[in-house]
Formats: sequence, C-alpha cells, structure tokens
Amino acid sequence: MRTSLFLLVVLISGAIAGLIWGSANFVLVEPYLDEAIGIENQNLFASGEEEDTLEFWVEYEGYRTWQKGGQILAGVILGTSIGALYGIVFAFSRNSLPGNNNIKKGLILASIMWFTIFLIPFLKYPANPPTVGEGETVVLRAILYLSFIAISGFSALGFYKLSKVFQGKKKLVALAGYAVFISAIFLVMPENPDEITAPMELVNGFRIMSVVAVSSFWIAIGLILGLLWNRFKPNREISTFND
Amino acid sequence: MSQSRQITTSKTGVPIIAIVALAIVFVAGLFIVGFDQGHIFSVVYGEQAFEDLYIHELTHDMRHAAGFPCH
Repeated sequence: MRTSLFLLVVLISGAIAGLIWGSANFVLVEPYLDEAIGIENQNLFASGEEEDTLEFWVEYEGYRTWQKGGQILAGVILGTSIGALYGIVFAFSRNSLPGNNNIKKGLILASIMWFTIFLIPFLKYPANPPTVGEGETVVLRAILYLSFIAISGFSALGFYKLSKVFQGKKKLVALAGYAVFISAIFLVMPENPDEITAPMELVNGFRIMSVVAVSSFWIAIGLILGLLWNRFKPNREISTFND
Repeated sequence: MSQSRQITTSKTGVPIIAIVALAIVFVAGLFIVGFDQGHIFSVVYGEQAFEDLYIHELTHDMRHAAGFPCH
C-alpha cells in the first residue's frame, strides 16, 4: 500500500464529509440551537444572573457568531478525526466487505459504523440542546457516552471475529451475538442523570435534525472514500524493472 | 538493449506508520471537538484558558449537534 496516498485519500474524504456535516448542522440544527439558547437567556434574566441590556446582547451576538462559524470548522476537524478511524477500519476490512466495487464497500462499512458507534449509543444517550444538562455532571456524561460508543464498536468487531470460528451462518451468529450483548449493556448502563427541562417539542426536533446531519456525514464518507479509492487505488503498488 | 517493465501489484498489508498517524488524528480531533474545556490553550495561556474557553466556544454548536455533553 502506498502510505502517503492512503493517508491523503482518508484525510481528504474525512475533511470533505466533515464539511458536509458542518454545513448540514448549520442549516438543520442551528435553528433549534438558537431557540434553546433563547430559553437559556430568558432563564438567566429571570434568575437575575444576567440583565437584559444592550451590553449583554452585543456580547451575546459576538460569541454566537464565533460559535456558528466554528460549527463548520469543527465539522471539518471532527469529520477528519472520525474519517481517520473509518479509514483504518476500511483498509483492514476492504477485502472482507461485500460489494463489487469500493463505493459499495465504503457505503456498507459506513452503514455498519453509523449503526454501531452512532445510532445505538445515540438511542441510549441522545444529543441534547443547550439548556439541558448540569455542569456538575458533564464529566460523568462524557465518560458514559464514550464508554458506550467504545463498548458498542469493540463488541461489534469482537462478534464479527468470533463468527469466523463458526461454519455456515456467520453473519447471523455475529448479528445475534452483538444484539444480545448490546441489549444487556443498554439495560445495565446508567441513564443520563440530568432532567430535561426544555420543551420536548424542541428537544425532539433537535434530536431528529442531529440524526439527519450525522447520517449525512456517514453517507458522504462512504461515497467519497469509495470514489477516491476507485480513482487512486492506494493499495496498488507499481514496481519498475529493467530487463 | 534494456527495457523497462512496470508491474502493478495489489497489496493488502496496511502500513503501521499510516495506522499510527490516523490514530493520532482520530484522538486529537475527537478531543478538540468533543472534550476540550480549555486544556489545549492552557499549555500557552495557563489558567486563563479555562476561563476563555476559545476552543469550547468554537466547537460548541457541533459538540451539541454531534451528541457530546457540552456543559
């Protein structure tokens, strides 16, 4: 495998898919964030922590502009990061993935990773807009969320490896094993300790748009990496001989 | 007279250096967007970085949208 080309294909795929993700968030999720932060501001005024003054709103507009613009850059950074993980898994599993071309293989792997390291953890610990979440529990929530992602991802990989031992219905064994194991973990892991204080209509709308935006990333990375792999074939090495 | 021949071979091995580089990108990117609360800039700005939270604010909206606990 040509190392530099492989790295370029993976990193460029992740960055472009991340740009798509950040842009999707900007269009789909941002209105819900604005609404939630609006509620947060009203709570601050009501509690006396802040005053509804011109100075407050000038400062508010300043950091919201920084946050909104940052969303696109953060999308590129996070997309490149998750894309790097995806690239490692793709390189190791490409020959085992079903599909007669790299785009199909890329999309199949993306759908497996979307399911195991995003959707299943999301069902247990769904995304929340601002106004939901206590500062004192942020470390605990981060540990729970990351742990669940890691358990789900590694167990999916483990059951896939384990299924190779069995003859015949390998896929069924891997799927059933993963389903039973992750269901047990789902029940055993503690719930998010924070109460939801924002209107459920807002929270649910935010969560749905969040899923749509994350899904746009996984579709994009599968397509883009597959396309670039087809085009540049980083696994192929060209050797020149002189007769 | 000598002739040059090119042979294209498909190799399944994944270079260790590429895996290490991608693993570093993965961990660093995840930390920056998902978890930094001033830690990175504190290397340069000290305790003040935990007050300013520049990276936290920059990644704030993506952090919420991607499901990471933010605050």
